[in-house]
Amino acid sequence: MEVKIEKIEDKTMVVLNGRLDTTNADKFQQDIAPLMQGDTPNIEIDCTDMEYTSSQGLRLFLMLQKSVTARKGNLVMRNMKPNVKEVFDITGFSNIIRII
Amino acid sequence: MILDEYRENRQVFEKMEEIVRTQLEKCVADNNIYVNAIEARIKAEKSLAGKLELKGHKYKTLSDITDILGTRVITFYSEEVDKISALIDKIFEIDWDNSVDKRKALDLDRFGYMSLHFICRIPKSLYYDAEHPEINDFRFEIQMRTALQHVWATMYHDTGYKSGIEVPKEHLRNMNRLAGMLELADEQFSRIRKEINDYRRNVQSLVADGNFDEVPLDSDTFRSYLTMKPFKKLIDKIATINQAEVYEDNLMRYVTTLLKMNFRTLGDLQRLIKDCSDDAYKLALHQLSSTDLDILALSVALQNLCLVYIIKKGGGEVGLRMFYDAVFGQSAYNEERAHRTFEQISKINIK
Repeated sequence: MEVKIEKIEDKTMVVLNGRLDTTNADKFQQDIAPLMQGDTPNIEIDCTDMEYTSSQGLRLFLMLQKSVTARKGNLVMRNMKPNVKEVFDITGFSNIIRII
Repeated sequence: MILDEYRENRQVFEKMEEIVRTQLEKCVADNNIYVNAIEARIKAEKSLAGKLELKGHKYKTLSDITDILGTRVITFYSEEVDKISALIDKIFEIDWDNSVDKRKALDLDRFGYMSLHFICRIPKSLYYDAEHPEINDFRFEIQMRTALQHVWATMYHDTGYKSGIEVPKEHLRNMNRLAGMLELADEQFSRIRKEINDYRRNVQSLVADGNFDEVPLDSDTFRSYLTMKPFKKLIDKIATINQAEVYEDNLMRYVTTLLKMNFRTLGDLQRLIKDCSDDAYKLALHQLSSTDLDILALSVALQNLCLVYIIKKGGGEVGLRMFYDAVFGQSAYNEERAHRTFEQISKINIK
């Protein structure tokens, strides 16, 4: 999974590209470590090219959401592919993370 | 000269301000008291000069003036003023001879300025600096009042009158009438808060006793209901599909949706669980068994219960769409969600 992070004004834009599964979850966790710091984060994750996420990916997104909530910030994931949205829906994660 | 003393000790008062403000903030935080504001200010030199010009004969040294450092705690409810004053008594040394409860200074048939004024010192046990022992000698003022009392006092101060004697009778009467109205409003706020707290205690008692049909569904009752973990059995069963861990997310967002679905009492929710759990599990089995997803949110249980309920009641795909709009906000994706869910539920044999 390729991760690009860019700060644009008061927003942190994250672009994901590829599959997120057990084989690359550790690397993904390292890549998003910078997002776990800072006050009142405003993070937008573009999932246009995110092909798939496993449970491990969901756990990492949950960790990120909890971190953002604790810092009174906002997290939004957008442009998910239908198969990825379905994963979030059937696991209830659509109730945890804002998806648009 | 007092003004010279003031200039020499300005930094002492700045240190005192830091100490007092920190202690007041800690005090309210440690005691879970939510206050409107904590303010602190060091009297400006110009203001002190004006005070000395008017009343200089009363003061021999800077120590005689008790409001060089003035602080204020503004609460929401009048009973919190009493609570905070009791806590302040444990933190600072109170100069009771010079402290005034202006709430009691008024006759029973009068209305006007209401505030509790404590004149205090910082005890050595709280803070001591051998190089600046005067930190424990200089007195300072803490005013405590409600937000409404503060509004009145601020507006009264804005008139420019320093005492009631100066104010023309007609304006004084109007200001005092307003003070009376705000005092009544303060009482009403306190009464409403007490009634809400009594309601919540009563609800907890009804829920604990299992009288669910007598308990109307609202945020308070649903919150109480959730402490009984009514969806645990279902989510634990769903979790066995892939040996999933369950993350307990917040279900409070469903209250409005449940009310829109015409669930009126906790008894209605109990019947939802009883009548729809088997089919809610079947739906989850259909969705999850071909995956290896081993983490679930608790809300899957309630979500699936609602979905099968809608279909059983003949709500169809439109009903599912309305449900998703209510839970997630209106979105074009909800139509796709509703269609997919409708197809999935069509494949399971719901009763």
